[in-house]
Amino acid sequence: MLTLSTAAPAVGAAFFASIVEVVEAFTIVLAVGTLRGWRPATFGTAAALASLAAAILVLGPLLDRVPINLLQLVIGILLLLFGMSWLRKASLRAAGVIPLHDENAIFAAEAAQLGEAARRRQTRLDWIAGMTAFKAVVLEGLEVVFIVIAVSAGRGLLLPAGLGALAACVLVLAVGAIVHRPLTRVPENTLKFGVGVMLSAFGVFWTGEGLGVAWPGHDLALFVFAALFLGAGLVASALARRPVMEIVL
Amino acid sequence: MTMLKEIFAELIGMFVGDARLTLAVLAIVAGVSALIKIAGIDPLGAGGILLVGCLGLLVENVYRSARSGLRP
Repeated sequence: MLTLSTAAPAVGAAFFASIVEVVEAFTIVLAVGTLRGWRPATFGTAAALASLAAAILVLGPLLDRVPINLLQLVIGILLLLFGMSWLRKASLRAAGVIPLHDENAIFAAEAAQLGEAARRRQTRLDWIAGMTAFKAVVLEGLEVVFIVIAVSAGRGLLLPAGLGALAACVLVLAVGAIVHRPLTRVPENTLKFGVGVMLSAFGVFWTGEGLGVAWPGHDLALFVFAALFLGAGLVASALARRPVMEIVL
Repeated sequence: MTMLKEIFAELIGMFVGDARLTLAVLAIVAGVSALIKIAGIDPLGAGGILLVGCLGLLVENVYRSARSGLRP
């Protein structure tokens, strides 16, 4: 039976990860729509979303046929690698070691690239613009697809996690349609930090279960793991921010 | 063809943000697996090692990356 402690982390991870990725894709689609018209932008986006939805619908049920222990181990390891990679990058960004994601700069770069393409190949512009939107949505959406499948596989959570991702898409597109400019005020790094925490917690939980560990408290252990990863991320970020002490002889 | 390459690169990049971190995580998982399957230690204890190992790896990797002036 589906319980809140089982579904909430999966749906939350899918929702917040999707917000991060959809904001990034939206910036490029907005550049395409603003510069080359909304027809190629809409066509490219719709084609990409259809491809990603097909990937979820094909891969999701297929994974349910894999033996549960093997599935938990493989997905757990992938989640650990993916989640810790996000958490590492978000910690470094929070510490100011690497720059924050700049949606305005990405919008300007994409606009310049499309402008350059316009000068070179006038006749195929709609095609190029449509493909630009398609590529942006597919590349950003791949991560969403992985997260939705990974947090739901083998637990019957494909629909709730998929709906969480879809809700994020609708939310970002609705806000984007209203403000009609890159969504620079979305706290992307904070969201990425949070999602990295959740995915790392899922990773440890599933990898352990795949190896035969019976975690005390079952799904509730996820919240403990998440709290520990949050603490570790904050400590790592604080340490990275600290200036190096130099010894002068 | 170019797009397929980009999609493939994106897929690889999803799991290998930092090669050293990736290898270290895989080494911890392999070590914990060996402790359970070969050494026969209590799985819950091995699970604790997995958790603490991953937390330690994260802190060490972020700290080392910052100190070495890493740009991703």
